[in-house]
Amino acid sequence: ASGPREGKTWKRFQSFKGEAALPPEVDRLRIHVDRKAQTVILPIHGFAVPFHINTIKNVSKNDEGDFTYLRINFQTPGQLTGKKDDTPFEDPDATFIRSVSYRSPDSHRFDNISKQITELKKEANKREQQKKEMAD
Amino acid sequence: MATTQFDQIYHGLSTEVGKFRVAPSGMAWKGADSEGVVAMSSTDIKWAQWIRVARNFQLRVGMRDHRKEKFDGFLREDHDKLSSLLKNHFGITLEAREVSFKGWNWGVTDFQGEDLAFMVQDKVAFELPLRHVANSNIAGRTEVSLEFANPSTGRAKGLGDEMMEIRFHVPGTQKSKATGSDA
Repeated sequence: ASGPREGKTWKRFQSFKGEAALPPEVDRLRIHVDRKAQTVILPIHGFAVPFHINTIKNVSKNDEGDFTYLRINFQTPGQLTGKKDDTPFEDPDATFIRSVSYRSPDSHRFDNISKQITELKKEANKREQQKKEMAD
Repeated sequence: MATTQFDQIYHGLSTEVGKFRVAPSGMAWKGADSEGVVAMSSTDIKWAQWIRVARNFQLRVGMRDHRKEKFDGFLREDHDKLSSLLKNHFGITLEAREVSFKGWNWGVTDFQGEDLAFMVQDKVAFELPLRHVANSNIAGRTEVSLEFANPSTGRAKGLGDEMMEIRFHVPGTQKSKATGSDA
């Protein structure tokens, strides 16, 4: 492990070590929030694709007709976040996923997922803040 | 030689389960409800891959005419059995493809036949079948969006969440990653 340096250090994180760690619920091809792994797992054309909470910026939800739409926005370089220090990237020249949108007829479920992701993000931010305070 | 059967197997992204059978003459999937059949004769089977997907493991079969069939729902324990069946019956190796579970949102896009693969450290994170792309858009200099057509009507109960759109941030200005074709 690399020593902790303040500022723009890239901190390595990962959701799962291998496929066996995926929660069984992913077989429903629905968005799943894995609180323990700090990860949101998205169904993408049959794949179960984990995204660590560190990669997620926020979620937005809106209802349109019979469907509810959920959009997950990710951290990418070149965003005006105002706090550059918190978003270093291992490889700024890579291709980044900026957002993924889903729809569902089940508004209640998407509402719930949206809340879970927001809560997970809050917890992660809080922990990050605490770590910083400890380091000072 | 006897036929070997695997139960609770899906064809493609369908929610219908079926039986998957392997015999010296070939392989076939049969849907439990629709009775629909997907057959692959031994002389047409060219290659096979084993890959972890959402519904456990996927057997992907490549045919001589470049057709590709995907079957989800195989268990980890099925690997060895399936591998030796493919070897014995069709003389092909079940090639395992590695999948990334790192949880990163950055990587490299790679066109692989009809699919756009998103690779994280040389392992596939997911694939997007380009024929499902209904529209693609370049917004600004560094953003590419892909919109997907939704074949489903939303009536099926066991239906998963439908992905509508994905947006990529492509910092490199020299390469436009827009897909060459749109449907």
